Amino acid sequence: MSDHTVKAFDEDITRLRGLIAEMGGLAEVAISEALDALIRGDIELGDSVVARDKKIDELETEVDKLAVRIIALRAPMADDLREVIAALKIAGVIERIGDYSKNIAKRIGMIEGRDRFEPLTLLPAMGELANEMVHDVLTAYAARDPGLAREVISTDAKVDAFYNSIFRNLVSHMVENPATISSAAQLLFVARNLERIGDHATNVAEMVHFAATGTYPPEEDR
Amino acid sequence: MTRIHDTIKDDKSAKMKARDVSVYYGAKKAIDEVSIDISPDYVTAFIGPSGCGKSTFLRCFNRMNDTIPVARVTGAIELDGEDILTEAMDVVQLRARVGMVFQKPNPFPKSIYENIAYGPKIHGLAEKKPDLDAIVERSLTRAGLWEEVKDRLDDSGTALSGGQQQRLCIARAIAVDPEVILMDEPASALDPIATAKIEELIDELSGRYAIVIVTHSMQQAARVSQRTAFFHLGKMVEYGPTSDIFQNPIEERTRDYITGRYG
Repeated sequence: MSDHTVKAFDEDITRLRGLIAEMGGLAEVAISEALDALIRGDIELGDSVVARDKKIDELETEVDKLAVRIIALRAPMADDLREVIAALKIAGVIERIGDYSKNIAKRIGMIEGRDRFEPLTLLPAMGELANEMVHDVLTAYAARDPGLAREVISTDAKVDAFYNSIFRNLVSHMVENPATISSAAQLLFVARNLERIGDHATNVAEMVHFAATGTYPPEEDR
Repeated sequence: MTRIHDTIKDDKSAKMKARDVSVYYGAKKAIDEVSIDISPDYVTAFIGPSGCGKSTFLRCFNRMNDTIPVARVTGAIELDGEDILTEAMDVVQLRARVGMVFQKPNPFPKSIYENIAYGPKIHGLAEKKPDLDAIVERSLTRAGLWEEVKDRLDDSGTALSGGQQQRLCIARAIAVDPEVILMDEPASALDPIATAKIEELIDELSGRYAIVIVTHSMQQAARVSQRTAFFHLGKMVEYGPTSDIFQNPIEERTRDYITGRYG
């Protein structure tokens, strides 16, 4: 796409996209470190994930301010308007993804006897998949690539399948080992958080598709 | 080739139709084979960069280009199915049916009353003073000016503020009961409040008259029109519902222009 006649407009849009990319990068790190800390029982790393979520929140505020400023001062149209609206919504979604990672990190200290939990072996794979969705959707955002956005949307079914499998696994674990119910419930929340991250990545993908094309992805993808 | 959005192909039959209209200024082609249907139900906006031909094209609809000696118009323009570009067309009658409002308010240097009454008088729309009074009041009311001027109808039209003068010109245009009103940048010389009043007026008049407006302000086109045509280098590039043109234009040239990328 060619440049705007008013260069400051391009600078604003570039800055907006940069902020989203930065938020996304932080969110990806938060997911993988939260899971890593969970698997290894590394409370210190977990605390650091929790602490760093503030930065994502701050960036969201910055995106909000900049987007409102662009709308007020530049009155964007067509692709530009969709871009700004999408950025506004995407920032909100990434902030939520950050919260889910923080929530996972907070549960680390509440899980006992982690060696005996089989679902713990499934969680990293599920987390990786969810993280891949977040990574890919940010790539799609950066490249304004509706095709890649649709691929991300189709990946969500796999994350859901993981969740169902882990859910069943944990429930039977609880039935067999009532003493571990409290820890198992914590892991259920972790799996639930990862599943939500997948959903949110899907929402971002829809926004990326909308910003790039002006239409939402076809229903069969969703 | 003009890209016409599918969504407007169901529009009710056109009030005015241009077919392959070209306008030459001497050897220079200012408008290149433009065809468009003007709906009676909507406000249609012509947008495009300076020199794209939108004003030239607008002036074809009531043959204002006749006043420019070097201008030559080819093709056909129909008003209710009748070609207005023929020799037989009575241009004075045509301009009563297709009124025009210009960028700079141009009231006659006469009283407010006379500004409105002049047209109906020469067109024989009113014979007695009470009939004329009624037309003056109705026209000024429709133009949203009655309350402001009813106590000083004998004051000169040129003594009004710019925004009031423009509404006076609109009142003058509607006094002869036109079917179509052409507006060439009607608010570009006005402040934001006067502009808002004109825009509100356009909104109120739409439906009663077919309205075509040329504007440089895309925000204005977005606010007042329901159909938008984008012109570039004498051609009509894209024509569709205003909300689609401004949210998701099909043609790259349209998009570049409305997003401020036109170089």
